[in-house]
Amino acid sequence: MTLISNLIRPSRRPLTRSRACIALATILTLTISVCAQALTITDSRGEHEFAQTPQRVIALNWSMAENLVELGVTPVGVADIKGYQEWVVRPQLTDSITDVGTRSEPNLERIAALQPDVILLSSMQEGMVEKLEQIAPVLFFDSFRADHDNFDVSRQIFLQLARLFDKETTAKQKLDAMDTRFGELQEQLKAHYHGDLPKVAAVRFTTPSVLRIFGDNSMAQAAMAKLGLQPALPQPATQWGITQKKVTDLGRIKDGVVIYIEPFEQADDLFSTPLWRAMPFVRSGRFAAARSTWTYGGPLSVQYLAESITDALLTLTP
Amino acid sequence: MRRYLVTLALLPVLLFAYLQLGSPPPLSLQWTLLSGGAAVEFEDFQFFYATLPRAALALLVGGAMGLVGSLLQQITQNRLLSPMTLGAASGAWLALVCASVWAPVLMANYGAWIAMAGASLSVTLVLLIAGSGGLAGLPVVLAGMAVNILLGAAASAIVLLNDQYARNLFIWGAGDLTQTDWNWVIWLAPKLSIALLILLFAHRPLTLLRLGEAGARGRGMGVFATLALLLPAALWLVACSITAVGVISFIGLLTPNLARALGARRAGDELTYSLLLGGLLLLGTDAIAVLASQWTTDLVPSGAAAALIGAPGLIWFTRRKLTAADHSSLQLPAGVMKLSKTALIMLALGVPVTATIALLWSPEGAGSVSWRFGWPSDLVFSLRWPRIVTAAAAGGGMALAGVILQRLIRNPLASPDILGMSAGASLTLVLSVLAFGGSIYQAGPLIAFAGSLGVLLLLLLLGRRHHYAPGVMVLTGISLAALIDALVRFALAKGSDSAYSILGWLAGSTYQTTDGKAWLLLSGVIILATVCALCSRWLTLISAGDQVALARGLNVKRARLALLFLASLACALVTAVMGPVAFVGLLAPHMAAMLGARKAAQQLLLAILLGALLMILSDWLGRTLLYPAQMPAGAIASLLGGGYFIYLLTRRRAT
Repeated sequence: MTLISNLIRPSRRPLTRSRACIALATILTLTISVCAQALTITDSRGEHEFAQTPQRVIALNWSMAENLVELGVTPVGVADIKGYQEWVVRPQLTDSITDVGTRSEPNLERIAALQPDVILLSSMQEGMVEKLEQIAPVLFFDSFRADHDNFDVSRQIFLQLARLFDKETTAKQKLDAMDTRFGELQEQLKAHYHGDLPKVAAVRFTTPSVLRIFGDNSMAQAAMAKLGLQPALPQPATQWGITQKKVTDLGRIKDGVVIYIEPFEQADDLFSTPLWRAMPFVRSGRFAAARSTWTYGGPLSVQYLAESITDALLTLTP
Repeated sequence: MRRYLVTLALLPVLLFAYLQLGSPPPLSLQWTLLSGGAAVEFEDFQFFYATLPRAALALLVGGAMGLVGSLLQQITQNRLLSPMTLGAASGAWLALVCASVWAPVLMANYGAWIAMAGASLSVTLVLLIAGSGGLAGLPVVLAGMAVNILLGAAASAIVLLNDQYARNLFIWGAGDLTQTDWNWVIWLAPKLSIALLILLFAHRPLTLLRLGEAGARGRGMGVFATLALLLPAALWLVACSITAVGVISFIGLLTPNLARALGARRAGDELTYSLLLGGLLLLGTDAIAVLASQWTTDLVPSGAAAALIGAPGLIWFTRRKLTAADHSSLQLPAGVMKLSKTALIMLALGVPVTATIALLWSPEGAGSVSWRFGWPSDLVFSLRWPRIVTAAAAGGGMALAGVILQRLIRNPLASPDILGMSAGASLTLVLSVLAFGGSIYQAGPLIAFAGSLGVLLLLLLLGRRHHYAPGVMVLTGISLAALIDALVRFALAKGSDSAYSILGWLAGSTYQTTDGKAWLLLSGVIILATVCALCSRWLTLISAGDQVALARGLNVKRARLALLFLASLACALVTAVMGPVAFVGLLAPHMAAMLGARKAAQQLLLAILLGALLMILSDWLGRTLLYPAQMPAGAIASLLGGGYFIYLLTRRRAT
């Protein structure tokens, strides 16, 4: 069994650890001799020493880019900027940032040309670590995993990045403001629903017959939890927190609200069917659309999710 | 007639059981609903607007697929043929992907027609390539395979560059029968009515066609006119069906074979019985999909269930009844008859020259992009050379496998992909991602290699009885490839970013290679090529035909086994490092022969050079064309190779 699991999860630790140790030792001796206050940043692979605050940073993943912008750090390069602007939208990237290619195969040569001080990677990009380390120090944050709490981890990642870029005050302020905002939103909901908050299922439609439910470990459910909302159709935790289901499975929701995240181009095809109109939550008018929001982002994207879910819930009559 | 009675009796039983899946209303209420009673509770609505139309659609689509499968197989006298082997699904898929990326408005309103146009075009292309002479044997299957790979690569490339747009299509690709109203049934049923005409009138010409083309003509039948009527009708049925429910493979291939095994002999009998059996089969497999969706957390698409049952079914059939028509000797493609020294020297020089250009010439710059020709910095050099070496070695390796296979199967259209080695590697990797999460790149080359070797082992076990006859190998490979396709689509349909990395891996890229992997692959390919050069006499003899080979004292069975092992090893090695690399293995041997490499050893050398050249070029284009974005070399090679291949074949037909 261990043999199999070793095969399946290849021995990246034994391989890189020795190398990392040597690198670390070198950096340690260097930093101790150069300056005393080295930064220790912990990513998904272990601890990394940085002698000083990196100035030029490249984010190869949208959630990393989003975190940087929230911290007030402008990256020199981001992967697939066009896609970011289309799907993440908030917070906006400034025009000065260079596109470094796709997220699955970012252009190494262009990354090298940008002479970064640090390169940030996230889930699905672990395979690139070794190559990118030839160019600059790499931090890899495995943000989305089935075996950890995605939201919790996203907060830790945010704080680690804040430490690295010397923005810890900004980060704390933003996170505190977020918690306050959760409180406000919850109050609004409680006032609207007279203290009796409904159970909610957050979904995204794929086709008129198939949808994805945001279950345990999803950012949407994390937002709901912060608002004090219970899931109406609980799903077990998965890597991204989503589970694919038939639309008819929503019929199992006897009391509860369904919120779908836009866009859904074929809305008319589904919403006009007798079956849809017979769904218990449609009959009782407990169904609303939430404006398009990125659902695989960093901690602050959860605030935007909470806001759009709250706005959607406020449109319903309690 | 007992067969019909049993089947007809089975149908209502299965239908009844199917309708009781999930949480249906009480039986008495079901009857009321069926006889026009109004639905009240949600369960009633679900029964009437979801369960019933789904069952109806399963019967309709299954029946249509069964009928078309039987029709195609009878027309061509080829028991390997099905709508999917003809490229219908991949054509529709490419059309849908293009439309949803570039014309989303058109897609929302005319999706069905777009899919149909794509399916029609690709099937026409396959039929043109195979030609009327090639319909009976392996050529049409191999042509279908080639077109499938080409269109699939094009679609993957587009999806990779625009992943978020195409995401909602994945569920269609996985083939799902889930319904929320009667719309699709109402859309599909009248369009399938043409099936009745086929049932009524097709049996006579089909019976005559069994006598062979000349025989049929002798009895006064217009063969061309008959085909011109029957083929479009079949195509129409298929296109409508896959438009409605997505890609559901195997039913069309398996049903007619099953019908024959159960005793359907006459032409009309086989058509009618296949129609009935197809409906029954799809209803049955869909019941499994429904049950599996209830037991597991995620939705299980019907296409995945059909493939899970169909693939082993097909393999089991081929074990019992070997029907693939084999060529007795290899007919090399037309071209120069003798290899000129100049061509050889040009090629031998071409590889290092292209490699140097790929190393030195590239767009550069972060702000404004400009092309620069010159020695790169140490860092850029260390980033570029492993990719170039990997690309060259992979191209050479696939070409090597291609030469062996084309000579072994005695068909210049054979590609190493048909053996399912790459597919086996993909399967194990995708399964490990499905089971353990994480990125497909993390799963590593060892698992890929294990998958390829697993397929090889299976092929060897299955092939032993038939002395490793090519037909069995091809069928097994195709079954595995389709099974894996369905599983991959299932993984993609699950959504999330894992799909993105799976697609990237499937496109075959040198991106993940390292110094170590590059040298490993290169030395592996060189060793295999050397061994192969030593056995080139076997290759020459085997491609001349079993009789010739036996007469010259060759142990055909053992030689086949050894050569098959060599080819598989090359495929497995390349796939483990780069992911599946399609088309190079098909094209390089083909081009080598056209340049005049007629002897096995010559063809081997030339093909390896050509393969290396093609891959270096593809990798370079992939790195530079869309700078800073990059395309996997495998995808570019498929597009280049596929386009050229189709050009060659259509030109050959024109002259």
